[in-house]
Amino acid sequence: GLRRCPISMDMRHLQESFQDIQRAIQANDTFQNITILSALDSLQGIKPLDVCCVTRSLLAFYMDRVFKDHQEPDPHILRRISSIANSFLYMQKTVQQCQVQGRCHCREEATNVTQIIHNNYNQLEARVAAVKSLGELNVFLAWISENYQDGSA
Amino acid sequence: DGVAILPAPSNLSVHSANMKHLLVWSPVALPGETVYYSVQYQGEYESLYRSHVWIPSSLCSLTERPQCDVSDDITATVPYNLRVRATLGSRTSAWSTLKQPFNRNSTVLTPPVVAISKDGFHLVIELEDLGPHFEFLVAYWRREPGAKEHLKVLRNEGVPVHLATMEPGAAYCVKAQTFVKAIQRHSAFSQPECVEVRGEALPL
Amino acid sequence: VPCVSGDLPKPTDVTFLSINMKNVLQWNPPEGLHGVDVTYTVQYFIYGQKKWLNKPECRNINRTFCDLSAETSDYEHQYYAKVKAIWETNCSKWAETGRFYPFLETQIGPPGVALTPDEKSISIVLTAPEKWKKNPEDRAVSMQQIYSNLKYNVSVYNTKSKRMWSQYVTNHTLVLTWLEPATLYCVRVVSFVPGPPRPAKPSEKQCISTLQDQTSALKVK
Repeated sequence: GLRRCPISMDMRHLQESFQDIQRAIQANDTFQNITILSALDSLQGIKPLDVCCVTRSLLAFYMDRVFKDHQEPDPHILRRISSIANSFLYMQKTVQQCQVQGRCHCREEATNVTQIIHNNYNQLEARVAAVKSLGELNVFLAWISENYQDGSA
Repeated sequence: DGVAILPAPSNLSVHSANMKHLLVWSPVALPGETVYYSVQYQGEYESLYRSHVWIPSSLCSLTERPQCDVSDDITATVPYNLRVRATLGSRTSAWSTLKQPFNRNSTVLTPPVVAISKDGFHLVIELEDLGPHFEFLVAYWRREPGAKEHLKVLRNEGVPVHLATMEPGAAYCVKAQTFVKAIQRHSAFSQPECVEVRGEALPL
Repeated sequence: VPCVSGDLPKPTDVTFLSINMKNVLQWNPPEGLHGVDVTYTVQYFIYGQKKWLNKPECRNINRTFCDLSAETSDYEHQYYAKVKAIWETNCSKWAETGRFYPFLETQIGPPGVALTPDEKSISIVLTAPEKWKKNPEDRAVSMQQIYSNLKYNVSVYNTKSKRMWSQYVTNHTLVLTWLEPATLYCVRVVSFVPGPPRPAKPSEKQCISTLQDQTSALKVK
């Protein structure tokens, strides 16, 4: 992964939080023929130079769209989503510092990938898209984990 | 309708050590009555984007004691708002909110308790179980002038961990500090402990 | 002949058992139909694709498992599978798995462990577990090639002192030195990949004795 913007994160806790609610969230996603983050291979193709930009864009995607569009009634799931959202907020602060210092530049390739994700999201009604994106958090977390192995907690 | 007749809890504060966070408050004194308390929290995300959302604490809904372990609620390194209210029958008090938001990066990290032992020529260390957040930076060296200090990063696995293979007739010393990646901080080192390895002959 | 759907209860506990990317769908017979001559039919779905796909080798089968390793070999995709029970002209509704993500969910099997004793040392050579392969003659792919951060937790038990200790290693050779001669040591190894918690199956416990100390043997003569 690109060491230009090392992000400190509690990846083990993030993955455990998601694993704890995965079955419940994915069970509410009935559109099995559509993906939003699609397979890891589309993220897998991201070059090290673009890792920071894609991280920043996907954190913003979850913070500004997914978590906002999702209304969670179950307190247990709400706690886990809150934990993930607040962890992403902490990571965003680090990434934003990198951006201010000019170490998180976005090239066209990176912007295209995140645009595809937003287009996929727009295909569905907001709440449905939010549930699907929450159910695909494991794809994003696996990608982050692979690209920030040293920096991850 | 019984709302806010009950006095609210007061003097809220958080005692936090080794990533265990305990919210405490002064109880509502009503002689002969059992008052219950409920705790809610809000991370920075909620306060920024969903300020109306308060999340019930995982451990403290209608608890009798004037304290609440919020360690499983405070799960990100951002400021958290915490609030408590009292309940007596159908009567509930107003919410009392912690004056300053709490961030887990302020937790006190104490030097770890470690147990050094040897199995023949093998230096073995047992690490305190402080929970999944903790790694241990262990320094060990041969007790002789100018000896080089070796470092290992270990995790508590519930089983003694092999530290080094010692040479006969030497003494080895060990000290350790905790490191919590989630808050990017470490504790002070523990006091060094030393073990000696007998001379040439192996223990029969 | 199409069967009447819904008259039979569904199979239960439909899950993937995945070890080193060998992905086997397994289930329990429907409640109340133990001993009845029920057959099963399986289908699978690639998340994001368009339709359910048949597995011809798992149509009208008697057994309660179906190897879908080949169909789910692209471990970076996610999958569903489902199974229904058939008995004469009746059949159950489909019973479906949750979403299955081999890359994050497969169990990493234990490495191969070879021990070579000496008087005061034991050499441990580990062989990385192998990814499932379709044909025996296919080229072997090590799980290390998929998980570059794969490491091993080696536990050593001294049967004389009754002491146990463990250590993590990333490479495939480890020499335990300065051991006690003529002493039985037992070794067990678990593969470990940092990331979401996964079940881990340790290697079989292997015990071996260090050799007699030749110097003391000479003294005895």
